[in-house]
Amino acid sequence: MNGPIRRLALGVLVGLGLVLGSATWFQVLGSDRYRSDPRNARPAISRSVKERGVIVTADGTVLAESVPDETNPRSFARRYPGGEAFAPVVGYTSLLVGDAGLEAAYDDELRSRRDLTISDLIAVLLGRDLRPLSLQLTLDPDLQQTAYEALAGRRGAVVALDPNTGAILALVSSPSFDPETLLGADAVDRRRTLLDDPAQPLLDRATRRLYPPASTFKVVVAAAAFDSGVAGPETEYPDPEAFALPGSAATIRNFTGRTCAEGTTVTVQTAFVRSCNTTFAALAIDVGATQIARTAEAAGFDRDLRFPWQVARSTFPFDVVRDDPAALAQSGIGERDVRATPLTMAMVAAAVANGGETMAPFLVRQVFDADGLEVETTQPTTLGRAMSPATAAVLSGLMELVVTEGTGRRAAVPGLRVAGKTGTAESPDGPPHAWFIGFAPVERPSVAVAVLVESGGDVGESATGGTVAAPIARVLFERSLSARS
Amino acid sequence: MTRLLEATLLVGAAAIAAFGVTLVNLATGTGVDAQVGLTFFVFLLAFGAVHVALRTFAPRSVPYLLPPAALLAALSFVEIYRISPFRAGLQRWWLLIAAAGAVLVLAVLHRTGTVLLRRYRFTLFGVTLLLLAAPLIPSDAPGPIRGLEANGSRLWVVADMGFIELHFQPGEVAKLAFVAFLAAYLADRISLTGTRRRLGRWSIPEPRQIFPLVAVWALSSLVLVSQRDLGAATLLFAVVVAMLYAATAERVFLWAGGVLAGGGAVSAYVLFAHVQRRVEAWLDPFADFEGTGYQIAQGVFALGSGSLAGAGPGLGRPDLIPNAITDFIFAAVGEELGFAGTVAVIASYAVVVAVGFGIALRARDRYRKLLAAGLTFAFGFQTFLILAGVLRILPLTGISLPFMSYGGSSLVGNFALVALLARISHEETA
Repeated sequence: MNGPIRRLALGVLVGLGLVLGSATWFQVLGSDRYRSDPRNARPAISRSVKERGVIVTADGTVLAESVPDETNPRSFARRYPGGEAFAPVVGYTSLLVGDAGLEAAYDDELRSRRDLTISDLIAVLLGRDLRPLSLQLTLDPDLQQTAYEALAGRRGAVVALDPNTGAILALVSSPSFDPETLLGADAVDRRRTLLDDPAQPLLDRATRRLYPPASTFKVVVAAAAFDSGVAGPETEYPDPEAFALPGSAATIRNFTGRTCAEGTTVTVQTAFVRSCNTTFAALAIDVGATQIARTAEAAGFDRDLRFPWQVARSTFPFDVVRDDPAALAQSGIGERDVRATPLTMAMVAAAVANGGETMAPFLVRQVFDADGLEVETTQPTTLGRAMSPATAAVLSGLMELVVTEGTGRRAAVPGLRVAGKTGTAESPDGPPHAWFIGFAPVERPSVAVAVLVESGGDVGESATGGTVAAPIARVLFERSLSARS
Repeated sequence: MTRLLEATLLVGAAAIAAFGVTLVNLATGTGVDAQVGLTFFVFLLAFGAVHVALRTFAPRSVPYLLPPAALLAALSFVEIYRISPFRAGLQRWWLLIAAAGAVLVLAVLHRTGTVLLRRYRFTLFGVTLLLLAAPLIPSDAPGPIRGLEANGSRLWVVADMGFIELHFQPGEVAKLAFVAFLAAYLADRISLTGTRRRLGRWSIPEPRQIFPLVAVWALSSLVLVSQRDLGAATLLFAVVVAMLYAATAERVFLWAGGVLAGGGAVSAYVLFAHVQRRVEAWLDPFADFEGTGYQIAQGVFALGSGSLAGAGPGLGRPDLIPNAITDFIFAAVGEELGFAGTVAVIASYAVVVAVGFGIALRARDRYRKLLAAGLTFAFGFQTFLILAGVLRILPLTGISLPFMSYGGSSLVGNFALVALLARISHEETA
């Protein structure tokens, strides 16, 4: 009976051979395929508990850090001490709901490259540093917090730039969210709640949403007019009650519904200070689409900005307005198809403040390693020249008048020369959006801002840029004044 | 001399277990603690006791059975400890109890040898039936022993000792009693030179001789299918077929077994929804990743993530696999110890199987040959059945992996199995 026993033995051993063959497939030949399957949570889990670099502001305030687990020092939890005010910028990296913001954009730098594998050992022996890199941002944490609190839960955004370098001092979107709530086991439900919220707390309104810039766009039109010599601040324009759109029965009226000034004519300066639509509609047609588009592009419109994340592209619809004077007139007052992010409008204000030169906005000042040594430092770069220094100086004066005696009086700060321009954008589905762009101090600008409050904020239909957005800008200017002194 | 080698390898296995526990501790940040020494001590005590019992009661037995078993227990213990330190603590107790069981088996058979089992074959058959039926005792029955249903199968017995409830899978021990009974029965009733009957071109043993056997198989399978433990039913059926074939050398049993198994598989698929789910999960675990396929998919991810060298003890995530310390302990080892670990595991099983069949080949008489072959086949086929399920060669049948799965019944059964094999090898004519 040894024959059958031998064959049974052979059978069982062949079975174990099959097992070995299958194990070879799953662990050797097909290993990569199963390891990198998107449904295999292991790589993400191992990343999620690894140490990541810190994100700090210019003054060293920590916005993101990895804290070792109490029971297992090899395992790290991510903390975001900056909370809601910084959430749209810093973002989050979550095992369950993915990543966003700088955490996503700089994941390659922030993540540890330590896998505790043999190849790591070799890398360490070769002197390579596998520890994660860290980021130093340009943000002024105090200004960021102030701006977020000034919005007080209203839907809106604030962008503050250093006009001389393009360094972003504040990038605020409201309402926001607490990124730490997206790290836990209930992250999927929490994210669902945030996505279902009509206030869209996950939307970065500062860079990823487009609004009609309304009268703040008059800064661009005026710059184009002065640069091209079509008009100067003293140029007289007729002052009708309503501007008849060419080839159309429709008219453009002023916000007040009356003429801009008392006489039959009005200067460009007065029209700018009082934000008269009738004058700027006519002026836009005189300046022409080509010149306005050129100025707009140099200020940041119609171009893809290099930014840590994909930002919305602000547009001046040149193709639409080139052969359509009526559309050009409407575009001249920042309506019709002109669209801008708060970031772009802050760049417009910064261009005026910086003698006409637009600086590329940047958020990350420096990438540094675990020893605190510089890996890469962002150098300020020029995006283009939006206007001549002379035009910038004239426009700067007009914008100061807006704050001292025009529509932007509520942005005024005693003892500080503030320049600005208000805007009130018609919204097809609700109360108007309130804008304010500006900079201070006029004699030597150190901060340029754009403030946007969506849908009238908390005052509804009566909202204007001057009543809703300008006071927020004033808070920012006050804060930056007190910081300087 | 070879006994010394056995002792050395056993100390090595204990050291591997203790070293693995150390690595897990370092990886999870708890540092070197009492667990390391305790594990080393318990492995030494358990396998040392069996080793001493072999020296005392079966000195001529082969020394190659215990070391691979100890290696399997050590590798799996590291993973059980990594996934559930609490269960690992219980597993240490079970190792000691199972080793005591093996010592008891060797001691009881010391004077009479395996012939004792042959003498009590019908008692063993009765024990088999009792053990198999035990889980069917109602869960609310009065008295200390009750049945228990878990994971859709009813194969547990709870012994309420007043101060503690012991959970036990009697099927793991019934397997041994059944093989011992079959060996005795077949050695008595069916001989190679027995009366034959022609059936077409085959000559088969007299149906009268086989009939009781078919009844036994049908009865056992009935009990097991009623408990919905198809893994054990498949195993018992395979054991019956294999031992019939070994006893008669008639290939017709293999063919008939194949046909019966095929028919059984189809009817099980038609009759049981949970069998259908398992077949679907086997064919494409990713079709219902969040549902029926989740366990197999996680097992495959674990194996793939482990790759060649493994994540390292404590550095993978085998805890993501449902039932990682029982049915899927192999995948857990594959994830943290890599292909290196799984090859060591498969090689250890191959050694036990080869040595076991070797004992059967050299055994003194028909009974001992059948007993050794039956025990080895049961061990090897059970191993194949669960590994094939984890590695997607066959649909998954929930059955324990000898020496590796967490659980006392399985350890007790397989320690006794190895003790019996060793005893048979001791009884070889010198």
